[in-house]
Amino acid sequence: MPDELQLPAPPPDPLEPHPVLSTPHADAGLNEQLFRYVQLPPGKAWWLMFGLSLSLVGLLAVAVFVTFGWGVGTWGVQIPVAWAFAITEFVWWIGIGHAGTLISAVLLLFLQRWRTSINRFAETMTLFAVMCAGMFPVLHLGRPWFAYWLIPYPAEMGVWPQFRSPLVWDMFAVSTYFTVSLLFWYMGLVPDFASLRDSAKRSWQRMVYGVLSLGWRGSARHWRHHKSAYLLLAGLATPLVLSVHSIVSMDFAVALLPGWHSTIFPPYFVAGAVFSGFALVATLIIPARHFLGFEQVITGRHLDNMAKIMLVTGWIVTYAYACENFLSFYSGDPFEIHLAVDRATGHYALAYWVQLFCNCVVPQLFWSSRVRGSPIAIWCASILINVGMWLERYTIIVTALYRDFLPSSWRSYSPTWVDVSLYLGTLGFFSAAFLLALKFLPIVPVSELKELRVELLEHRPKGATPPGVAHRA
Amino acid sequence: MPPLNPIDAPEAPAERPLALRGLTLQGRPLALGPGRQWTSVEELRRESPAALPASRPDVELPREVTRRGFLQLLGASTAAAGLEGCWRMPQGTIVPYHDRPVGVTPGEPTHYATTVLRDGLGVGLLVTAYEGRPTKIEGNPEHPASLGATSVYEQGLLRTLYDPLRAREVKERGVPRAPESFEGALRERIGRLLPKKGAGLWFLLEPSSSPLQAELWRRLLAALPEARLASWGPSSDAASHDGTRLAFGRPLAARLDLSKADVVVALDAELLADDVPAARAFADRRVPQGRMNRLYAVEPRLSVTGTMADHRLRLRPSEVGPFALALLAAVAKRAGGAPAELQSALHAQLGAAVAPGFVDAVAADLVLHRGASLVAAGRGQPPAVHAAAHAINALLGNLGVTVTLAEPVLLDPASGMGALAELIRAADAGKVDTLIAACDNPALFAPGDLDVVGSLGRVPFSAYLGAYEDETAQRTTWFVPRAHPMEGWGDARAFDGTASIAQPLLDPLFGGRSIEQLLARCTGELRPVHELLHDFWRTASPSADFELAWKEWLQRGVVPGTAAPAVAAAPDWASIARTLAAAPPAQSGRLEIAFYRDLRLLDGREAHNGWLQELPDPVTKQTWGNAALVGPTTADALGIQSGDVLLLELAGARARLPAYVLPGHADGAVSVALGYGGEDFAQGAPLPGTNVAPLRTVAAPWLSAGLTLTKSGEREELAVTQEHWRMEGRPLAESATLAEYRAGIPGRGTFPEQHGPQPSEYAPIPYPGYAWGMAIDLARCTGCSACVVACASENNTPVVGKEQLIRGREMHWLRLDRYFEGPAEDPSSIAMPVMCVQCEDAPCEYVCPVNATVHSDEGLNEMVYNRCVGTRYCSNNCPYKVRRFNFLDFGYEKDPIEQMLPNPDVTVRSRGVMEKCTYCVQRIERARIATRIEGRLIRDGEIQTACQGACPTRAIAFGTLSDPEAEVSRLHADPRAYFLLHVLGTRPRTAHLARIKNENPALRKA
Repeated sequence: MPDELQLPAPPPDPLEPHPVLSTPHADAGLNEQLFRYVQLPPGKAWWLMFGLSLSLVGLLAVAVFVTFGWGVGTWGVQIPVAWAFAITEFVWWIGIGHAGTLISAVLLLFLQRWRTSINRFAETMTLFAVMCAGMFPVLHLGRPWFAYWLIPYPAEMGVWPQFRSPLVWDMFAVSTYFTVSLLFWYMGLVPDFASLRDSAKRSWQRMVYGVLSLGWRGSARHWRHHKSAYLLLAGLATPLVLSVHSIVSMDFAVALLPGWHSTIFPPYFVAGAVFSGFALVATLIIPARHFLGFEQVITGRHLDNMAKIMLVTGWIVTYAYACENFLSFYSGDPFEIHLAVDRATGHYALAYWVQLFCNCVVPQLFWSSRVRGSPIAIWCASILINVGMWLERYTIIVTALYRDFLPSSWRSYSPTWVDVSLYLGTLGFFSAAFLLALKFLPIVPVSELKELRVELLEHRPKGATPPGVAHRA
Repeated sequence: MPPLNPIDAPEAPAERPLALRGLTLQGRPLALGPGRQWTSVEELRRESPAALPASRPDVELPREVTRRGFLQLLGASTAAAGLEGCWRMPQGTIVPYHDRPVGVTPGEPTHYATTVLRDGLGVGLLVTAYEGRPTKIEGNPEHPASLGATSVYEQGLLRTLYDPLRAREVKERGVPRAPESFEGALRERIGRLLPKKGAGLWFLLEPSSSPLQAELWRRLLAALPEARLASWGPSSDAASHDGTRLAFGRPLAARLDLSKADVVVALDAELLADDVPAARAFADRRVPQGRMNRLYAVEPRLSVTGTMADHRLRLRPSEVGPFALALLAAVAKRAGGAPAELQSALHAQLGAAVAPGFVDAVAADLVLHRGASLVAAGRGQPPAVHAAAHAINALLGNLGVTVTLAEPVLLDPASGMGALAELIRAADAGKVDTLIAACDNPALFAPGDLDVVGSLGRVPFSAYLGAYEDETAQRTTWFVPRAHPMEGWGDARAFDGTASIAQPLLDPLFGGRSIEQLLARCTGELRPVHELLHDFWRTASPSADFELAWKEWLQRGVVPGTAAPAVAAAPDWASIARTLAAAPPAQSGRLEIAFYRDLRLLDGREAHNGWLQELPDPVTKQTWGNAALVGPTTADALGIQSGDVLLLELAGARARLPAYVLPGHADGAVSVALGYGGEDFAQGAPLPGTNVAPLRTVAAPWLSAGLTLTKSGEREELAVTQEHWRMEGRPLAESATLAEYRAGIPGRGTFPEQHGPQPSEYAPIPYPGYAWGMAIDLARCTGCSACVVACASENNTPVVGKEQLIRGREMHWLRLDRYFEGPAEDPSSIAMPVMCVQCEDAPCEYVCPVNATVHSDEGLNEMVYNRCVGTRYCSNNCPYKVRRFNFLDFGYEKDPIEQMLPNPDVTVRSRGVMEKCTYCVQRIERARIATRIEGRLIRDGEIQTACQGACPTRAIAFGTLSDPEAEVSRLHADPRAYFLLHVLGTRPRTAHLARIKNENPALRKA
C-alpha cells in the first residue's frame, strides 16, 4: 500500500459528522506520529505536571503515615457517620474505572470502531483508578494490619471471613476486576510494545520494550493467538462491567439504613459508574489529544460518541434519582420520607443540589451538536460531571448516616485535613501514574489503528463494512 | 516469669518495673519503684506520672513518635507491604505469688463494705477488690442511704482513687518537705497555742457527720477551749437547717419519706437526682398497676426532678418563694385550722400570687391528700421557703408521716456561707493565728464578696489538707495531701443517723492523710486512726463481745440500731409568720441568676475526675464544662444562641462562659452550675468550665437579680453528646397519661403494634437454655446517669476528652437519650437509657466481614474484639447507634497508677476496635461458674448488670426470658412494654416500658 494514499473525504452523514479516523499517515507515519511523544525526552510541561502530581503523592504519604500511625480518629469519621470521605472516594474511583472495561470489552464485542483510538486511554485510566480505589478500604480499617482477614485463607484458627458481608464480596469483585483489567490491558499492549521496540532509537528503550513485548514478531500465529485471547478476555471482562459496581452498591443496599436500603442501587450505580468513567476519559483525553497532536486519530467522532453516552447514562442516573425520591414517599415509611426531605433541605442540601445540577442538568447540553462538537465544552461538562458524581456518593453515604433512626445520635460530619489529603493524594497518584503512562506507553493502540485504517481503505466505496470482518485476522 | 502472650516474644520487659502489673499489687507499691533515686525535685516531677503531658485525658496526636506509636506504624506499614505478624500486643509480665496470702485467690474478687461521705452524710458501699486492688463500687443494700444502689458521685470515686495527678507531696510554701516535718511544725504550733487555750486557732472543715470526728473535736476543745470550727462547703445545704430553725425554733434534720406521699411538691428541689432512698421510694409509686403518686415541680431550671414531674411550673428563681407563700395561703384557706398569726401574715400574700391557677390546683390536690402529701424546698431556695414548706406540711398533717424531724446528724449543721464569712472577718482582724483547713478549695469557690485569698495571706500559719494542689494550696503556708475516702479509716452517720464504719481498701497510694488523722495530731494523739476508731466505738457501745460486733459492723457496713429517733417538734407559728412577712417579693424586670450544684462535680471536688467530667449532664447532655442556661424565649429576646460566649456581670463581679439554650428554662433568668473552673496545677492547665463563685455573695449565695448579659462575640463549641432533642414524631421514648393508659389507646401506654412477632421467612431459633433479656422501665428511670458511670467502671470504657467528644467519639456503652416534647418554652421531657438491645436478628452481625460480631446460643450479640478489623460497617447498620469505636488509642494504660483501675474481667480494647454493651457477659460467666460448681441453674436476680446494680430506682431488670417467672419476663409481658424500632424487625432482647404520667385533671393542658 503506497504511503501517499489518502483517506477519502468523509461522507456527508448528518448523524456522523466526523470521520472515525482522519490521519493522512500510513503505517510508518502513524508509528512516527504516535510514538514521537514516547521517544522524546520529557519536556518542561511534563516535568511541571509530574512534579505537581508527585508532591500530591507526598501528601498522600503523609496522610497515610498519620492514618496508620494514629488511627482513623485523625479523620472526620465518628459515630454515627462512621464512613465518609474514604468510602466516597472508593466508590468514586471504582466508578471511574468502569469506562475502561466498557470501552475495551463491551464496545469491542459490539464492533464499535471508534473504541480503537481511545481504549488504551480508558484501560490505563481504569487500572490506575482501581489502584486508587483499592487503597481506601485498607486505609479506612481500624486495624489495617489485619486487612488480610477478609481473604479466605486456611488460617490456623479455622476462622473464615463472613460471607454474608458485602465487604467480602467487594474484596472479590475489586480484585477480580483489577486482575482482568490488567491482563486485558497488557494483552492489547503487546503488539504495540513490539512496534515501539522496533522503532526505538535508544538502546535502553529497545531493551525495555523488547522485554515487555514478550518476543512479539507479528507472525500470523502470533496474531491469531493474540486476537483470540483478546476476545476471550473481552468476554470475561464484560460481566465485570455489571458486577463490580453492582457489588459495590450492595455495601449500601444490603444495609437497613434509609437511603441505603434500596433495590435500585445496582443498576443505578452501574449507570453512574459508566457516566463518571466516560466523563473522566473525556477530561483526560481532550487535553492529551491536543498537546500530543492526536486530533487525527482521536477525532470529533470520538468526542461526539462519548458525549452521547454521557447523555444516555446521565438520563439513567436522573431516572434513578427520581425513582429513589418517588419510592421514599411512595413507601410511606417515615424514616425514608424524612431522609428524602432532609437530603434536599438539610445540612447537606447544597451538596445534593450541586449533584443534581452536575449530573442531571449539565449532560443535557449534549443534546446540542454544537456542544458535542466543541472539545472545550465537553471538557468543562465532564469536569462538572466528575464533581457531581463525587457528590452523589458523598450525599448517599453521609446523609443516610448522619440522621438515621434515633434522633439522639444525630450528628453532622465534616472532614479533617487528613481526609482531604488522602483524596488529593490519590488524585496526585493517579495523575503521576497517568503522566508516566503517556511518556512511556503507546497510549493510542497503534496496531489496532493501522488495522482500522486498512479496513477503512479496503471499504473505500460507500458500502458498509461487512460485519465481522474488521477484527478477524 | 512467663510473658502474657506465649505466642509473642517478650519485648524488653526488664525495663519496666515488675510491680506494674495487677498481681503484684498489695496496697502501696506504686508511688515510686524500688531503688528509685532522684537528684532534684524537677527531675522527680519530670519523671513521675504527675508530669504527664498536658493533653491528659484528652487524646491528641502525640507530638513525637513514641515507642508504642512506632511499633504501631511498623506493624501497619509492614502489614500493608504484605508481611504479616509484625504487630505485637503490648507486653508485660506477671509475677505469681511466692507464698499465697491467706484468703486471697488470684483472680477471685473480694468484697468489702465501707462508707463514704457525701455532703457530710454517710453512704454505704460494697467495694469489689482484686488482690487488694479495688475495681468496682456498688451500693450496700443494708445501708439506708444506699439500698444497694449508688449515685453518680460514688461510682466516680474509683477514678479519683487511681488518679495519678492527685497530690503526693507535703509542701511548705510550695517547697516539698518530708512528710514528718509537717507533724513537727503542727506540734510546735499547737504547743505554742496551749497556754492561750487555743485562742486564734481555727478549723475550716467540710461538713461531716463522723462520730469519731466529733469525739476528736471534743477532746481538742478540752485542751484548747478557745479553738473555733467553721464548717463550710461551697454548696452545702445550710438553708434547710436554717429553715427548720425558723419553722421549729431549732435546727433539725427533715427526713422525707416519699413512699407514703401521694402528692409531692418540689419547690426548686432536686429530690430525685442523687438521693437514692428518695428516688427509690418515688419510683416504687410510679407503676400504674399500683397507686401512683403525683409530682409537681416548681423550678427555674429543668432539673432531673422536673423531667419526672407530672406537672411542672417554670418560675424565675425569685418567684419560687412567693409561689410557696401563695401555696401556703391556699392550703391554709382550704384546709383550715391555720393559727391566727399565720392568717394575718398570709393575708398580704394572697393578692400577689404567682400562677394562681396552678397554685389552686396544687393546693386542692394537697388538701385532698392530707397526711399523705409532701412539700419540699431545695437547697438553692432561701430559708423562708423552707419554712413555708414546713408550714404547709404542718398544716396538712404530714409531719411525722411523710416528713420526719430528727436531731441533725452533722457535727456542725450551720455550714453555710456565714461560717466562712466569720472566719474571714476574724482573719482580717488578725485574730486567726493558725488555720487548719480541709474543705473544697475555699480560695476558688468562696463567694465573691469574701477575699479568701487576701485573708489567707494574713494568717501566719495555715495548713490545707487537699486531694489536689489547688488554688487554696497555693495560698496556705502548708499543704498536705489528703487521703482518698478508700484510703483511710473513719466513720459516718447516714441521713437518718445510722452509723457505719469506713474501712480502707488500700493504703494511701500517695501518702495522703485523712481529716481524722489531722484532728488526732492536733490533740497530740499519735496512735493510728484505726485504733482511735476502734477504741471510740468500744467506749461508745460497750458490750462484752464488742470485737464480734465490730467485725459484724465491718462486714455488714452498718452499725445496727443507730438511726436517730424522730423528735416531735411543733411549728413555731409566730416565727414562721415573722419570716413570711419579711420574705422578699418576686423580682420583676431584672434578669435573675440561679446557681445550682452540679450533679457530677458536686462542690467541684470531682473536677479532676474524667468519668464525671465526661458524663453528660442528665438534662443538658453537656460534658466537660458548664454553661449559662437560658430559656428559648429569653435567648431569642437577647439574640443568644447556644455556644455564644457571654459575659455575666453581677454587682461588679464577672464571669465568662458559653450560653446553652435549654428548653423549659424560666424566662428572664439564667442558671449556672457551680464547681467548675480553676486550674489543674499538676498539669499547669485550666480545668474545664468557668468558676462562677465570684458572682455569689454571702447574703445571696444561690440566687440574685440584676444580672447583665453581654455577648462577647466569641463562640465556644459545647461538648454535648446529644444535639437533637426532638423525636420527630417517631415512636421512641414512649409516654402517656394514666387516663390514656387506662383507656387502652394503642400507642399511648399500651403497644399492641410494637410488640409481638414480626413476619419472617425463617423459623425462630430455639433457645433451650438461658435466653438473656432486659427490661427498662421509663416510668422509673429518672435519667440520673449513675448507670452510665457504673458501666464505664465495670466495662473499662475509656475517657476520650473534650475535643474527641465534640467530634463524636463518645465511648459510653450506655447512653441516656433525653427527648423533649411540646413547645420549646415549656416542654415535657423524658429520659431513655439505650444500650445494645442484643437484637435477635442483629443488623450488625450479617455485615461484619470477619465474623467479629456473632450471636451466642443464649441470645447475646457478642463482640469478638481480637477478631475486629474495624470496618465500622456494624455501627453504620446499627439502628440504635449503640456501637462505639476506638477511633484512636484512647487506652487506659497510660500510667502505672491508672493501670490499676480496669476491671480484670473485661478486656481493655485497643485502637481500631468496635465495642458495645455486652449485657455484662463477664458477670453472667461468673454466675455460671458459681452455679455449675453448685450444680444448679442461675436464679432470677442472681446476675445484676452493672447498670442495674447502680440504678437508684431499679428501672432496669435483667434475667433469662426462658423463665416465665423471672422479673424480666414479667416486665416483657407488661402492657407498657414495647420494643424500640420494632418496625425494623430487629427483635430486641431489651424491652422498654412506657412512662405513665399521673396528670391532675384540673391542670390538663387543653
